[in-house]
Amino acid sequence: MNELAIKDLLYKLADDQLILGHRNSEWTGFGPILEEDIAFSSMAQDKIGHSLAFYTLLQELGEADPDTVAFTRNANQFHNSQLVELPNGEYDFSLIRHFLYDNAEIIRFEMLSQSSYEPIAKVATKLKGEVKYHVLHANTWIKNLGSSTEEAILRLQSSLNEALPYALAMFENSKYEQELIDAGVYAGEEAVKTEWLKRIQAVIDKTDLKLPDLATIEPKFGGRYGEHTEHLQPLLDEMAEVFKIDPTAEW
Amino acid sequence: MYGGGNVFEATKFDDVQVEDPAKLEEFEARIARGEKIEPTDWMPELYRKQLIRMIEQHAHSEIIGALPEGTWITRAPGFRRKMAQMAKVQDEVGHAQLLYSAAETLGKSREQMLTDLISGKSKYSNVFNYPAFTWADSNIISWLIDAGAIVNQMANAKGSYGPYSRALERICAEEAFHLKYGHDAVVHMATGSPKQREMIQAALNRWWPPIMTFFGPSDKMSTHTETLMRWKVKMASNDECRQQFLDMYVPKIWELGLTVPDPKLKKNMETGQWEFTEPDWDEFKRVINGDGPCNAERLAVRRTAEERGAWVRRALLNPKAKYVRPLA
Amino acid sequence: MSLKSLDPRVTRLNLPEGEVPAMEPKPELDQFETYEAFHQKKEGTAYTYVGPVHAPNEDVAFLFAKEQYSRRFACTGLWIARTENIQVTPYGNDNENVYDTIQFDEPTQRSEQPEPYEIFHLKKRGKAHTHAGRVMATSYPEALAEAKSAFGEKGPIVNVWVVKSKDVLQSAEEDKDMWTTIPEKKYREAIAYKVMDKITKYKEENKPTTAQ
Repeated sequence: MNELAIKDLLYKLADDQLILGHRNSEWTGFGPILEEDIAFSSMAQDKIGHSLAFYTLLQELGEADPDTVAFTRNANQFHNSQLVELPNGEYDFSLIRHFLYDNAEIIRFEMLSQSSYEPIAKVATKLKGEVKYHVLHANTWIKNLGSSTEEAILRLQSSLNEALPYALAMFENSKYEQELIDAGVYAGEEAVKTEWLKRIQAVIDKTDLKLPDLATIEPKFGGRYGEHTEHLQPLLDEMAEVFKIDPTAEW
Repeated sequence: MYGGGNVFEATKFDDVQVEDPAKLEEFEARIARGEKIEPTDWMPELYRKQLIRMIEQHAHSEIIGALPEGTWITRAPGFRRKMAQMAKVQDEVGHAQLLYSAAETLGKSREQMLTDLISGKSKYSNVFNYPAFTWADSNIISWLIDAGAIVNQMANAKGSYGPYSRALERICAEEAFHLKYGHDAVVHMATGSPKQREMIQAALNRWWPPIMTFFGPSDKMSTHTETLMRWKVKMASNDECRQQFLDMYVPKIWELGLTVPDPKLKKNMETGQWEFTEPDWDEFKRVINGDGPCNAERLAVRRTAEERGAWVRRALLNPKAKYVRPLA
Repeated sequence: MSLKSLDPRVTRLNLPEGEVPAMEPKPELDQFETYEAFHQKKEGTAYTYVGPVHAPNEDVAFLFAKEQYSRRFACTGLWIARTENIQVTPYGNDNENVYDTIQFDEPTQRSEQPEPYEIFHLKKRGKAHTHAGRVMATSYPEALAEAKSAFGEKGPIVNVWVVKSKDVLQSAEEDKDMWTTIPEKKYREAIAYKVMDKITKYKEENKPTTAQ
């Protein structure tokens, strides 16, 4: 197995979840209803927990420890898709992002739980149930709000249109795409994307929302190899603010 | 996280005189037997009003109490602290949910409670009107404010109202984590690098005066207070709670080589009581009435959360829905 | 000008600074109606009442109850029932059996076919209702009478809740994996924080030097 290919995959999985976990955690205390505030925080904790699990696999492959990897790199060393680094906006945008992201995430976890690379398969199998709740949460909200008032439908539709170019770039191919597929690590980004489209379409069909013609959308690629929006570096600085006061200290 | 010290305006005691004596006797006999009161039982108006006020203020203290520590959610250092900080603040919001529900069983709707919080009509624990300047402030809150809250909540869990006791039992179970987490973070700072030690001592210095007011001024003993104690609404005096807190935590602060910024603080071995500089109750009253460093921000944040979430709630409101008080 | 806070999350909310007009009082049902939640702690044990959630419908109530009531402690299943659909008996004294004091009225409404009802008992005031079992009946009063003969005989029961099974949303067998990792989330357990070693070491190193 090509170790570089595995590391490449692990970095993108871990970085996506670390950054989205942070964005989701910003909702704690600000949610639209108390109960939803609690639910969003749980998902944020799960995401950060998942990133930790994948950084731990990276450490086993010789990378630095998870705290160092997560809190000392700069934006151009991050492999997350740009979708997850965008600011939260209002609840409609956070919800749409969560819907688009987690419906892809669950497919990755399903595939990876069957992976030929056993350490990943084990982690994915264990954590799959949590992602399943995230998807249930997202789909239930989209179905409910997506067929409610004109105001809600308009908000969601506009957030959907805004998020899609970024969401499509989640499936940016890896440098090692074919190797990962050939080695049976997972079925690759194209396969994830095809399944993802089917699933989000099925949910959207139950609402008054419309999925725009994807052929007309230019995906915002680049995130997987260090190209990011202006929003990532300030977030990273914030995440590391205390840690950097004394990186050798035990906090 | 609630100290229970700011119940100022009391319901008029005269109210009890008009209650049906037979029902009142039965109610008091039940409490004397050690039985809990449940929502559909007959209860004196004074009991109902006092409990609503208390539980509601407690709920507000949780939801507003989520904000000072929330200040450090995105900046908590390292995975271990980050996940714990998130879970800890989440618990506080969860506690607010449990407590608003308990208050609702007495007949005040969550809508009305949130309206009264945002308008300033209903109060919350005064300590949350102070800022968490650094990560160390957040640690001090997690440890010592939660410690104070546990002293108060453990006492109240033995109170007579069933739904409040049930909520508090769960809250105390969750707070056990908060207390250990807070202590762990403070110990790491106090035994860490010189910079960390300096940060934690500075935070302790800032938070000590508010902590000393956390349980409220000495109770004025009145027939009113006695009645509430007999009804197991008020379970311990403010001074008892403060003394218990000092007994449990001052030694734990001192063993870390930290100093408490009160030269008069010492335990009188003859009386068994702690002596300390009387807290500044004028400042306490001024802050509780709105003039603290963070009052405006705390309420503005809460209000914004409510206003920006309104479209979500409007969208899902079922026109056929009917409000029924929660059962227990 | 917007408010600059110590909390970067608050700063990003762009709150207006200074006086703002008073907020309109919240309309009724702004926080939705309530649902009651019951959880199962361990495979094979009775479902127990955990508390209410406010939600617009039972699917959302399930999402909410799952996080509010089953995130911190082991769980294998969750039931949700709309508060309005639960019928409640009067409360008896502790040590009393409330079934003995209930008048079993003729039902005003009766369905054609018997259908299942879930029965919950409160054994002591201040504790939580637990699931006693299921009965078949054509009305709530009949369900209560059936419950009395099926499970009402032994011990004190201070209060009974009756709800039609069709009004209870029950988590499915295949949902169980949503809870499998709960016991592993040690970062929110008190037991994960052990600092005695650090304190002891600190005290050792910083002993007050005794006079020679």
